[in-house]
Amino acid sequence: MSKDSKKGGISRRKFLQGVGSGIIGSYVLTPGIAKAAEALKKNSEKLILSVPLTLKVNGKQAHLLVEPRTTLAEVLREKLGLTGTKVACNNGECGGCTVLLDKKAVYSCHILALDAEGKEVTTIEGIMKGENLHPIQQAFIDHDGLQCGFCTPGQVMAAEALLLKNPKPTRQDVLEGMSGNVCRCAAYPNIIESVLAAAEKAGSETAELK
Amino acid sequence: MENIDLLYHARGESKFIDDLRLPSDALYAAIFYSSTGHGRILSLDLRDALLMPGVKAILTSKDIPGENQIGGVIADETLLAEDEVHYAGQPIALVVAESPECARKAVKKIKVLFDELPVVLDPREAFRKGSFIIPPRIFSMGNTSLAWDNCLVIVEGRAETGAQEHLYLETQGSVAYPTDSGSLKVTSSTQAPTAVQRAVSRVTGLPMNKIEVEASRLGGGFGGKEDQANSFAAMAALSALKLNRPVKLVLSRQEDLRITGKRHPYSSDFKLGLDSEGRILAYEVTFYQNAGASADLSPAILDRTLFHCTNSYFVPNVKATAYSLRTNLPPMTAFRGFGAPQGMFAIESAIFKAAEKMGVEPSYLQEKNLLKEGDAFPYGQSAEGCRAKESWLAALETFETGEIKNRIEKFNRENQFFKKGFAFMPICFGISFTNASMNQAGALVHIYSDGSIGISTAAVEMGQGVNMKLRQIASAIFQVSLDKIKIEPANTTRVANTSPTAASAAADLNGKALEKACNELLERLLNAAALKLKTEDKPVIINEEILLKEEKTGLKWEDLVKMAFDERMDLTSHAHHITPGIYFDKLLNQGRPFNYHVYGTGVVEVTLDCLRGTYTVDSLKAIHDSGKPLNPLIDRGQAEGAAIQGLGWLTMEEIAYASKGPLLSDSLSAYKVPDVYFSPGELDIRFLKASDNPRGIFNSKAIGEPPFMYAIGVFFALYNAIKEFRPEVRMDFTAPLTNERLLLALYSKEKNTVTA
Ligand code: FES
Ligand code: FES
Repeated sequence: MSKDSKKGGISRRKFLQGVGSGIIGSYVLTPGIAKAAEALKKNSEKLILSVPLTLKVNGKQAHLLVEPRTTLAEVLREKLGLTGTKVACNNGECGGCTVLLDKKAVYSCHILALDAEGKEVTTIEGIMKGENLHPIQQAFIDHDGLQCGFCTPGQVMAAEALLLKNPKPTRQDVLEGMSGNVCRCAAYPNIIESVLAAAEKAGSETAELK
Repeated sequence: MENIDLLYHARGESKFIDDLRLPSDALYAAIFYSSTGHGRILSLDLRDALLMPGVKAILTSKDIPGENQIGGVIADETLLAEDEVHYAGQPIALVVAESPECARKAVKKIKVLFDELPVVLDPREAFRKGSFIIPPRIFSMGNTSLAWDNCLVIVEGRAETGAQEHLYLETQGSVAYPTDSGSLKVTSSTQAPTAVQRAVSRVTGLPMNKIEVEASRLGGGFGGKEDQANSFAAMAALSALKLNRPVKLVLSRQEDLRITGKRHPYSSDFKLGLDSEGRILAYEVTFYQNAGASADLSPAILDRTLFHCTNSYFVPNVKATAYSLRTNLPPMTAFRGFGAPQGMFAIESAIFKAAEKMGVEPSYLQEKNLLKEGDAFPYGQSAEGCRAKESWLAALETFETGEIKNRIEKFNRENQFFKKGFAFMPICFGISFTNASMNQAGALVHIYSDGSIGISTAAVEMGQGVNMKLRQIASAIFQVSLDKIKIEPANTTRVANTSPTAASAAADLNGKALEKACNELLERLLNAAALKLKTEDKPVIINEEILLKEEKTGLKWEDLVKMAFDERMDLTSHAHHITPGIYFDKLLNQGRPFNYHVYGTGVVEVTLDCLRGTYTVDSLKAIHDSGKPLNPLIDRGQAEGAAIQGLGWLTMEEIAYASKGPLLSDSLSAYKVPDVYFSPGELDIRFLKASDNPRGIFNSKAIGEPPFMYAIGVFFALYNAIKEFRPEVRMDFTAPLTNERLLLALYSKEKNTVTA
């Protein structure tokens, strides 16, 4: 934590109490934390207060008032009703809450909502192509890449991030790209197949277009 | 779209408990639990917590209108502690507040003072102190004491297996709503709606007909929500009743890890005797089951350990003794395999040790002793439709195990610091609840006037694909497309007095009840069709068309249903199924507890990095007898998932408790489960061809649990790899075989013990 955060006379310890356990262990001064600190400065007595936040989720703007400590996952699930994003550990350890932030996979339980401001958030609800399933969703269904389904939205989003970055992943790339997402049903063999199949399908479709 | 559940899951639209939209007056509960393993409560100070804005009430055992008791099998478990706590994680009080955050903050303000009492975590210590949950259980056949004299080789040893956390990704949770006329509706992430209904009734004092319990779907259960969902539903219900508002209780991951029970750790002593040809003549084994602080399902789990203590081998003289021991850990509970894996691990250890002593390969002894048709199990039942040998031979042939062996030998000659090992793992697993009365199920089928069909049973969908299987059954009988068929959530007002979705038997039991209900309706419809067509012959339905003597009649399914409705026919049917011919005498420990057995043979190959103690599971292959699988895609997924979960149990999943009882491995960074990297390079599970099962639904066999036990092979494959590096080592049979234990086995000074 840099000295900036002490600006308003708020010690790091005191501030962290306010923002909750979500960022303990994070020593980076993110804009969200700075903004929260700024807000706190105005009212250092009361740690819980709401600040305005504009989020762009699945292409739509949402104007919200949130407590600074609120995680992106909480905002998505509780304020926006996007319960497709699952919170299974709330501690950045399982990948259940994976969403895209500017096309990169992040654990939404492990990032402050304030830090998503100005960025493009994509959740499982936002990747359908109209009424049609996204090819990754389709591939998970076709290849039985899920059982209880609780990890699935996170898996699909992790796969989407992987394929956006690397449209032709090898098996090894898939292992790497998907290794942050726990599936306790252990549908792993089929998850790997699903991701590879989705990549292949996308590849052949682009080839056709050419 | 065939499997509707998959579609909604993939779109993120399936609603789990925590996703439910609640009325605006809903409140949220959080649990205050014990931080010590054993102690008398000297004082409980709720004042600061109660003063917090947003806190509506704090409930303790004194607020329970009914009985403060949730022990289903034995009444030894309180919902909320009274004056003593018996494990760290034991619920003491419930805070009900306007938000979950507020409730949790208030929990932190509760102060408790304990008079600390001695903590026992080890089952053998509990045994010495005489802390039994139930009297000892003994299964025996033949006479072991006479048999030892005929044995050429006798080995003795100890086998240890650790606890395993279920880690269902959806934590335990429930929402309870007060409804009119003093009733409650409870939605719960439970495998056992009736058990929840019973527990809520007991705690609230309301009769069961005032409690409606519903379970739509679970984000994983694996046995962890068979009995242990009861308490959380009862807590939500109690709060809702007290405050007359809807109350939600969903555990955080850390709470779930700390409060709930796990797979039972076992410590076992074995003694195995064989003749000169390697035939097993006698087996004595004593199991010390660490049951935790209360019985939960431990007695039934203990019995299944005994039922499977000889795995898929014929042993003429058996004496198996099992103790269920009370310790200061959370009540241990059902987990995929239900005690069988622990039992099988012990005999596999014994066989491994015997092979070491005889200088033969374990697989030689395994094959030699496989069950044959008609062989007796040590509980009075004999092997019928035995496919032990068949699956073994199929595995040898299909996977060319001779080739594997040669390849491994070559690799091991050429590599100094990397060694490969492999092992066979045959399995035999009995299907049925061993408590005979639980082998019953009901199904309720409505055909609506537009021809669509709604089905209710007690099967809870938790990833095992039971909804899809039920739809397949109805679709095959009515000959209508799958999209006309909907499976309703399990609900106690639609199908009552049901058994849990457990014992791998949900599709079997509920499927059979459904088959009966559908056939009754079909009969009615076809009679109506015959009447309408003015024929004595019986029409049939093929692909939604009514045919008479193989000719189309022009009538379609919808017409038939409409007609039947106009004729004022009952288009609803309820049927009840019981598994025929099973019984078990618990005094003599003899009977026919199982409807049938599942067999199979697994082969596991590993590569061990002998410098680092790390390894990869190169392959897990198996020939699995699933009868005629109802849905091979689902069954393969189940088998693979079970096997990987088993690999985790035997290798990386290590639960640690502090000496006073609190769980140390209370996050996913401290408790590692298999991730996608850990998944074996090759996971190849094939179904035994030309198999069937007249006792199963549509000739299928249950699938959920048996493949878990193929993973036991990984322990012995790793042991074999260690011996390639260090031939003189004699390792303990202690699972999980973590990297730490592996490294010790490779390098510790003593060659006989590597207990970490
Ligand atoms: S819920 Fe966010 S990583 Fe587990
Ligand atoms: S499908 Fe159940 S956790 Fe992945």
